[in-house]
Amino acid sequence: MSQWLSSAWLRAKALFKRRQFDRDLEDELRFHLVMREEKLKAAGLDPEEARYASRRRFGNRASLQETCREMWVFVWLEDLWQDLRYALRAMRKNPGFTAVVVVTLALGIGASTAVFSVVDPLLFRRLPYPKDDQLVSVGYLGPVDNNEFNVVSSYFDWRQGPFKSLTAMRPGVGCDAMIGDTPRRINCFSVAANFLQTFGVSPVLGRDFNPEDDRPHAPTVALLSYGFWQRSFGGDAKALGKTLVVDDDPVQIIGVLPKSFEMPQLGEIDVMLPARLDASLPRSANSSSFLRTFARLPEGMSIEQAHERLLPIFNATADKDVPRELRSEVRLVVRSLRDRQIQEVKLSSWMLLGSVLALLLAACANVANLMLARALARRQELAMRTALGAGRGRLIRQTLTESLIFGLLGGAAGCATAWALLRLCVGLAPGGMLRLEHARIDLRVLLFALAGSLGAALLFGMAPALEQPRAEALAGWHVAGTARTLFRKALVSAQVAISLVLLAGASLLLRSLWKLQSQPLGFQPEHVITASFTLRRHRYQPATAQVSFFDELEARLKQIPGGGYFALSDSIPPRGSMGRPYSNLRIAGHPPVAPDGGMVEFRWVTPEYFRALGIPILAGRAFEEGERASGESPLILSATLARRLFGNENPLGQQIDLEASGRWSPVVGVAADIKNNGLTDPPDPEYYRLRMHNAHTVGSSGVALFRTSLDPGTLERWVRKEFAAMDPSLPVTVETLDQRVDRFRERPRFVAALVGLFAALGLLLAAVGLYGVLSFLVARQTREIGVRMAIGARPLDIALHIQKYAGIWTGIGVAVGLAGSFALARTIRGLLFEVSPNDPVSLLASATVLVVTAVLAAWIPSHRAARIDPVIALRNE
Amino acid sequence: MGEKQSNPGEILRDTLDMLILRALKRHPLHGYAIAEFIEQTSEEVLRVEEGALYPALHRLELRGWLISEWGISENNRRAKYYRLTAAGRKQLAEEAARWGRLTAAIARVMETA
Repeated sequence: MSQWLSSAWLRAKALFKRRQFDRDLEDELRFHLVMREEKLKAAGLDPEEARYASRRRFGNRASLQETCREMWVFVWLEDLWQDLRYALRAMRKNPGFTAVVVVTLALGIGASTAVFSVVDPLLFRRLPYPKDDQLVSVGYLGPVDNNEFNVVSSYFDWRQGPFKSLTAMRPGVGCDAMIGDTPRRINCFSVAANFLQTFGVSPVLGRDFNPEDDRPHAPTVALLSYGFWQRSFGGDAKALGKTLVVDDDPVQIIGVLPKSFEMPQLGEIDVMLPARLDASLPRSANSSSFLRTFARLPEGMSIEQAHERLLPIFNATADKDVPRELRSEVRLVVRSLRDRQIQEVKLSSWMLLGSVLALLLAACANVANLMLARALARRQELAMRTALGAGRGRLIRQTLTESLIFGLLGGAAGCATAWALLRLCVGLAPGGMLRLEHARIDLRVLLFALAGSLGAALLFGMAPALEQPRAEALAGWHVAGTARTLFRKALVSAQVAISLVLLAGASLLLRSLWKLQSQPLGFQPEHVITASFTLRRHRYQPATAQVSFFDELEARLKQIPGGGYFALSDSIPPRGSMGRPYSNLRIAGHPPVAPDGGMVEFRWVTPEYFRALGIPILAGRAFEEGERASGESPLILSATLARRLFGNENPLGQQIDLEASGRWSPVVGVAADIKNNGLTDPPDPEYYRLRMHNAHTVGSSGVALFRTSLDPGTLERWVRKEFAAMDPSLPVTVETLDQRVDRFRERPRFVAALVGLFAALGLLLAAVGLYGVLSFLVARQTREIGVRMAIGARPLDIALHIQKYAGIWTGIGVAVGLAGSFALARTIRGLLFEVSPNDPVSLLASATVLVVTAVLAAWIPSHRAARIDPVIALRNE
Repeated sequence: MGEKQSNPGEILRDTLDMLILRALKRHPLHGYAIAEFIEQTSEEVLRVEEGALYPALHRLELRGWLISEWGISENNRRAKYYRLTAAGRKQLAEEAARWGRLTAAIARVMETA
């Protein structure tokens, strides 16, 4: 053992001083030569003779030098170095082949890594809380909201439930804080005192809330988010104990949240305040105070068990807190926090992941095919090397080294591609893609993708060396390898199939997107500009202050320079507005309405609203300015609501009690339906109420609408000037209605774009694969084609012959692809809008594109085949 | 390591190694001088070819029985001198003893009637 060590050490030394060593060796041998020469001279030979004699006796000096030298080298190292150099030389000589393989691998690895990095935080990675699988979101699920919610009175009762810890937060509101002297709108959340404890999070600075802070009239304390602390206090630890003015209230800063902290419903947070829920308030007050509730399950309890145990408590509180009309439509929901977070994006995430994995598969198939083709082409060379004495092990090692280099180059290029793609993704993605800021090049994913494609390259690069080179191969005769060529054909068909599935998916999404873009909204968004704002409750404390603000605002904004329509509303489509249970409505002189009608939406609007938005009035009339001071509050119904309430009866003039309050409102008109529930969901029934000049009707948020031919920039400047004249500290968001509506199309557009990109890449790969295999086929069959042409085949026949090959493989691929599309399309139904998953137009279009591409890809090889000169071909071998 | 080789080339190679080690018992020599020593001491019976000598020398060096260093020869040329190491001396003694036993055994066999 020690002998091996010392010889290894000597060898290492020789390795480092290679040139010196070689010189020494040469000197040593030459010295011997010279000594013998001198001896012979001394013995009497003349100098020339002596030299020749000495040389003769010495024998083959070069060979001897080589023999000695070889003892001193690490054999495996030398071999590896030799293999590397050979491989690199071969790669340089075939730059086209090298480029194609590396680019293919880069595309496959890069794209799949980038996409995986994006969906990993959504689908797979753990949430940033300890034991995140114990965390659940609980609450009532009813027609009021898409997500489960709770109320304060129920929350207090549910604390007796089976959970280890139950906590609550108020739905987020914007709040205004004074940073230095500037008022800024920030995100505040009010939470119960045990909120952070339930999630297992501790402040990174300062302390958590304690039960004292959560008492109803305790002095207000606050926790800052890490980002807010950095931005507004420069990360200074002395921020602790300072006072921040939030919504005109001074709050004392007691701590800072950790950098990795996330709100469970993934909202942006700046300041966390205690909710100070008051159990002493009457139940009726607390049962209309909304919360979101989350809980941690005790060890070993499953979600189903928790649901079961909570059910009796749920039933008891629901009977007390849920309005009678809604009781039957409300049920208990207990679901994992992750499910609550990713519900919206789950389907699109899986679809993206599936598409990109298909792309990776296609890329690997391509590389495999290319490697096989090249291996077959080099059979002659391998046979020659075997005949010259190379062992099988040596040949295998050499091919493996080459494949390894390809794999590494492809992997490196893949890393760069992934990084670039990720930046692109993050830049282009709409704000709704959750957790995108957490998407980063995940090392384990990269390694996995790298290993996968390395494995594929190795496997198929090694295949030719494993086969014993045969003597016939030496002569250049083409040994029939039917099994292998069949495999290659299968690979091409597989690529075509994958490509078709991707294309079908992309075209379905694109058609869906197009339908989304072109569907009628019910209103005319062109030339409409909106200005939205929210009054700070504390600035406009007496309700009359709010009223006078809105009155003055109307008076000012009505004077649009250049003319046009102006209206004021509390919200605008396609977003929803406030809602109330359908069952609340009562019609004078009619039986009670059906109990489970879901929700009805309503907006408070000024008379010009319908004209400003271009909503047609189908019956009756729009509101009039004169009605705004009188006692009656007129009503306009949407067509759907009118039909639901009155059927074929004339709705005009009917009296409706909207809030079961005894006050009746007359119906003066029926407006056309509009999209008021986003773009993809069916619209809710809706009614419009006239903004009166009294406090009851006016909320604190508003949207001003302008239909004008003035250019948006000028209008915006004027609007801001008017707002600033009344309240310079009020933040106003100005944008065109087109922009607002477009935001609803952002996510489908993003997903469609990505899948379209993958489909295009997949198509390219399939085309390249087909082209490669066909070229190779033509090259191999040169002699056969020459013979055919010699005995009378026309160039066209030859070209068609090649195209026939292409056609068969493509045909099989298309058939398999269509079957695959049928099977898989069903899974993405949730992403499609008014497009059937088996939409024949999309499938036909995809198949056509693929066939055309195949014909084009086969064009050059078939052209080349047709131009073979039979004389040269026959003479070639 | 003392394995019995059945290949005659191997036997000769081991013997050559032993002769080289012996040649260097007194003082360091360069390659040519080692060949001369063996040739002359064996009265021209054993002639060492370069093709065998140098590989043997390098092999012995790699095995740690010789150490080499460059010096000036008697006729003012740069030459590589080899020297026995402690391990080398030990090896020489072992091989010499083995050789002695071998030749004695052969002699006994040949001399019986």
